[in-house]
Amino acid sequence: MRSTTPNWLRWGGGALIAVVLIALPFQFEAFRVNQFITWMCIAVAAAGLNLLTGYNGQISVGHGALYGLGAYAAAILVTRTTVPMLLTIVIAAVICFVAGVAIGLPALRIKGLYLALVTLAVAVLFPALVEQFSSLTGGGRGLALVVPQEGCPRGRPECPVRWESPFGGLENDQWRYFLALAITVVAFVLVANLVKSRVGRSLVAIRDNDIAAESSGINVSRTKIITFGVSAAIAGVGGGMLALLNGNPRVNPTSFTLLVSIYLLVAVVVGGASTVIGPAIGALVYGVFTDVIGPELPGRFENATPVILGVLLIIQMLVAPNGIVGQFKEIQAKMASRRSGGAPEVHNGATPVERDTP
Amino acid sequence: MNDFLEVLVVGLGNGAIYAMLGLGLVVIYRSTGLLNFAQGELAMFSTFIVWTIWNAGVPMWLAIIGGMFGGFLIGILLHQVAVSPLGDPHEKPLAVVIVTIGLFLALNGAAQLIWGTVDKRLPPLFGTGQVTIGGVSIQWQKIGSLLVLAAMVGLFLVLFQRTKVGLAMRAVASNSESAGLCGVPVPRILMLGWGLAAATGTVAGVFTAPQLGLGTNLMQLTLIFGFAAITLGGFDSILGAVVGGMVVGVLSSIVPQYVSAFERMPLAPAFILILAVLLFRPQGLFGSKQVQRV
Amino acid sequence: MNLKWKRLAALLAVMTLVAAACGRDDSSSSSDDSGSSDTTDSGGDEASGAFIDPSIDCADYEGTAGIDGDTIKIGTIRPADGPYAIYDQVTTGLDAWVTSVNSEGGIKAGDGNTYKVELIKENDSYDPGKTPALAQKLVEQDGVFAIVGTIGTENNLAIRDYLNDACVPNIALATGSTNWGDADQYPWYISGLPSYALEANYWADYIADTKPEAKIALLYQDDDFGTAYQKALTKAVERSNNDNGTTLEIVGEQGYNPLSGTTTEAAVTSLSQTGADVFIVGIGGTPCPQTLTFIPESWAPETYISVTCAGNTAMSLAGGKDVGVIQAQATLDPADPADADQEAVKEFKTKGAAAGLDEGQLDGGITSVGWGFGSFFGMLVENTDKVERADIMNTAFSLDQPAFGLVRPDIEIKTDGAADPWAIEGFRIAQRNADGGWDELGPVKNRNGESNELAG
Repeated sequence: MRSTTPNWLRWGGGALIAVVLIALPFQFEAFRVNQFITWMCIAVAAAGLNLLTGYNGQISVGHGALYGLGAYAAAILVTRTTVPMLLTIVIAAVICFVAGVAIGLPALRIKGLYLALVTLAVAVLFPALVEQFSSLTGGGRGLALVVPQEGCPRGRPECPVRWESPFGGLENDQWRYFLALAITVVAFVLVANLVKSRVGRSLVAIRDNDIAAESSGINVSRTKIITFGVSAAIAGVGGGMLALLNGNPRVNPTSFTLLVSIYLLVAVVVGGASTVIGPAIGALVYGVFTDVIGPELPGRFENATPVILGVLLIIQMLVAPNGIVGQFKEIQAKMASRRSGGAPEVHNGATPVERDTP
Repeated sequence: MNDFLEVLVVGLGNGAIYAMLGLGLVVIYRSTGLLNFAQGELAMFSTFIVWTIWNAGVPMWLAIIGGMFGGFLIGILLHQVAVSPLGDPHEKPLAVVIVTIGLFLALNGAAQLIWGTVDKRLPPLFGTGQVTIGGVSIQWQKIGSLLVLAAMVGLFLVLFQRTKVGLAMRAVASNSESAGLCGVPVPRILMLGWGLAAATGTVAGVFTAPQLGLGTNLMQLTLIFGFAAITLGGFDSILGAVVGGMVVGVLSSIVPQYVSAFERMPLAPAFILILAVLLFRPQGLFGSKQVQRV
Repeated sequence: MNLKWKRLAALLAVMTLVAAACGRDDSSSSSDDSGSSDTTDSGGDEASGAFIDPSIDCADYEGTAGIDGDTIKIGTIRPADGPYAIYDQVTTGLDAWVTSVNSEGGIKAGDGNTYKVELIKENDSYDPGKTPALAQKLVEQDGVFAIVGTIGTENNLAIRDYLNDACVPNIALATGSTNWGDADQYPWYISGLPSYALEANYWADYIADTKPEAKIALLYQDDDFGTAYQKALTKAVERSNNDNGTTLEIVGEQGYNPLSGTTTEAAVTSLSQTGADVFIVGIGGTPCPQTLTFIPESWAPETYISVTCAGNTAMSLAGGKDVGVIQAQATLDPADPADADQEAVKEFKTKGAAAGLDEGQLDGGITSVGWGFGSFFGMLVENTDKVERADIMNTAFSLDQPAFGLVRPDIEIKTDGAADPWAIEGFRIAQRNADGGWDELGPVKNRNGESNELAG
């Protein structure tokens, strides 16, 4: 697909988004900034899921568990070891990679809906696993992210991890915001490059027809397993960010129930599966809905938030089954073809593959 | 030994419920080739309808029939409004999954708005009495649930194997396009499948509610056990749902009592078994193998 | 009535002395437009001062934030949707209390002014991951004076460091977790319920008195709430056997994970085979009454339930199996015919109905708990000579008065800083009868200052 947007618009748009992203933490109060950070964590985890479900066609309803595993891994490392805090997120990613490969192994034999159900079981089992290994995880009461440090209130030896900006001038939450933003940008650039590469094309080839892909020389098993691992690792990064950066001094098993897995999937599909930026848009929409619009609904409707969310979800799937970004691209393609007088490009049921990312 | 047998009975009772829920899932799969994440919430919703009718003073059995009918209508309605407009579900599996998730959220929220957050009590259909056989006490409710399950299995076997409608359902599930070409009214069959599944779910709900208490989260985790049952048994097998349900019910009741490693995660033993089975038989114990088209 | 006023006056006198002794830094409350007189600034020795001294403990102390003229703004966080939305009923009670107080003109505070109350409710869907941002919103954007009646142990833990560092009172937490005993480190927190550990000790004491050779089967919820019972009970049994020569024995113990999706049936069936003659159900919510329905006919233990599920709503889910169960009871039960003549119950029913509560809510035992949290806050405001954050907490931690709100009349409300941070430390033992009420098995006993020590 040829890029249809003029260059100046792309650069201009990009610059505008960058300015907005940088200005945000200075425009909003700390609690909002903390919510923004949470949205970024969801966006990163959804980007990981998108790699697997969107590009590779393996539906996972269990990424909430990997998200949680990343969060717990980072939290345990921070509280029990002296590993620098940001490095714990990297280690969390490695741990999640291994876990992802382990879950992905059966996926070689189990396909489609069976796989979805196996991953669903993983999602359900995760909070129970946390409770089972309570000596490590703190169990149902949660794990406090406290470390021994100087200057804790009331002379306590330990208190919650703090993120003082080394550059000065930045508030605690603003500094955390920029750290999260940096990680998010890196994660998305990584995914963008990955899907543009040969590996990315083989992911799509396997999704569209694995037997044909195999015969064209792609090692389907290896690719699928590694995709599972990488997808899990990215979800783990999102989890690690959540544990360390969103301003909550604890991690709890109830934050990683099946619903989280479902919401990650929702973020991917609403934003646009197999588009690079889709999961970010999806996470943004979800965040705005639950954290901004939901609480502002008049009292009577506040309890109706799930109903509204569910109905909107259905409407969106009926109106734009390819997600927001997918729909946008479709319109763009249609307009372009009308301009050039050609027939509109037909996407054979599958969502369009993005090739023109910056 | 008695100890073991008593817990075994508990497991079989739970297994019957999981099997019933599994049956509803199999019906959907058989008629549409899909999994319905909203199946549990549909069951919860129609169980609340049963409760509402019963609470108004109507005899329980009549209330159940009313609830099944209500569930049937809601199932049809939701299919027509939300699922059917998506077009051929096989083309967009992800979109369909998301729609059923949307239904899940909407039904759950709606039930909370209608019936509130305070749990209701639905008494056991077969009373609270029990009978002692060989030193092991068994509640009538459990025996009743097994009998009801057996009746449901009989009905479904007849439906799918002896009736035109059942045959049409199977045809639609395996290849809706060619079924349509053969004169099967595909949309109507899909609609019927959703209605039937919802009605089946009502029965499962009526047996679950006395165990868990009738609240809006009645089925959220119970459904997982139903999924486990049919994953083990095979998505399209009536018999598989029953065997799978029983195995999952027994394992998840007994193992946590004896193996402390599983005390906090009763689903884990069943899950491990499922994984093992799927690695050797990806279509489940009784499922039929799918031919992949290139 | 007369006695009440005398006590209040005495309390005020004590408060004034205490406040006078501490030499509070008053810079932050200079914009006091309510016209209260500042006679407490006489300075003095720090050592014997009030429990909280904001000039030492708080970096940016805003003592009168959230007080705007004659309105006090408070916030609460609760689940309004999802599987735990039932607890929203607690907040409904708190809300009704606010409505009721405002319709009467407001709370007459110790500073002579009358304050109306504004309540801001936030919804965290019971996910402790969402609570911190909401607490921050309440404090920083809405500028509430205090948080009142927030639901959930984990949720309150998630905001504990933040609220304590910001010096914002968190009053009448809707949980009795043993965590709230640490007022030394976290002096801005005070629980609105008795400690779960203390409750378990009342069971153990009553069992030791009446069945010194009891064999106990214990079912507990596998989280902070349930393990508090488990730990305290285990310790109490040991102590009783050592000190009083009883031979209590816990013969079976099962944890129940509410996130597992199963019922307690298998666990109850297993426990029924242990030969126990006492069964303790240390779980909450609907699984508690459901557990009662799983007790087989062949097993007839004396059954104890958690106070959190002893309300009429929960008990009516037990299908008649609730008759005969025993609880340690700290509050009046609006549904209990025997409590119907109590002044506090009558008042709650009249005012609650006027504030829009329906009969099910009035009798259910959940909404009344939230009403109680409101009364708790109101009681503190009434008793405080100066409505300021630190003063409210100092009042909360130096209480000595008769029961308030729906707390049972014989229970003494006493606190003493970190040494005794629990306001409600008394129970009676009561048994459920067939009329939906409770028969007293043992009268109210007060064990002031013992909750922390008994936590196990």
